[in-house]
Amino acid sequence: MKKILLMGNPNVGKSVFFNRLTGANVIESNYPGTTVDYTKGYMKGDSKDFEIIDVPGTFSLEAKDKAEEVAVKMLEEKKGALVICVIDASKIERGLYLVLEIVERGYPVVVALNMWDVAEDKNMQIDIEKLKSILNIPVVPTIAISGKGFKEVVLSLKKAASVGVNEITERVDEIK
Amino acid sequence: MEKKLSEMNYEEEGRVVSIEQDLKNKLAGMGIRIGKNLKMITKHPLKGPIVVEVDGAHTSLALSIADKIVVEVKK
Repeated sequence: MKKILLMGNPNVGKSVFFNRLTGANVIESNYPGTTVDYTKGYMKGDSKDFEIIDVPGTFSLEAKDKAEEVAVKMLEEKKGALVICVIDASKIERGLYLVLEIVERGYPVVVALNMWDVAEDKNMQIDIEKLKSILNIPVVPTIAISGKGFKEVVLSLKKAASVGVNEITERVDEIK
Repeated sequence: MEKKLSEMNYEEEGRVVSIEQDLKNKLAGMGIRIGKNLKMITKHPLKGPIVVEVDGAHTSLALSIADKIVVEVKK
């Protein structure tokens, strides 16, 4: 069965995401570090089933504590897995840092710009189309607690493909 | 004026001018890089962690890490 890793910075809503996708009921809380081990679940996609793994939050792939070590090890063990990188849209820069690290390691990634409502409340404007064209991977705005954007995330799984970081850098340079 | 991030006062703002080499990648994942503007939000007592604002988001750092970041403080 195709595996999906749910990755992202701490406290961005990965577990809420996991519960919504799988119908499970893992503990969610509003502080970082709730998930220090991983949880597995299953989801029906539009054509096939997926195994989903809720990975502890990490800022980067250079682990600096136990939870991050679990995250990095999971990624390394699951070669061939798809990654849904959940990022806090209101803290987009550090989220994208992790996205690029995962892309760099050759995993196909779908970016979920979660907490879209929080970013809107902060009057942040994010050009999704531009971000998509720079990264060349699916980017979907989501609100995990209400379920907004989930259908699109699931549908975009099949569009996720490995992308070279060099091409991304070139596209960024073109904008500058 | 330049000082260590750990020495900043409440509400003080500054721009990062240097970060100890082996911490650079670790901090980049938390949105802290050279050139970024930071604002001191909280310093916990008893050598506890500090909280800074970067790009509108709060990030906490161990005091020992904040010791290794130098900022140019705004007047």
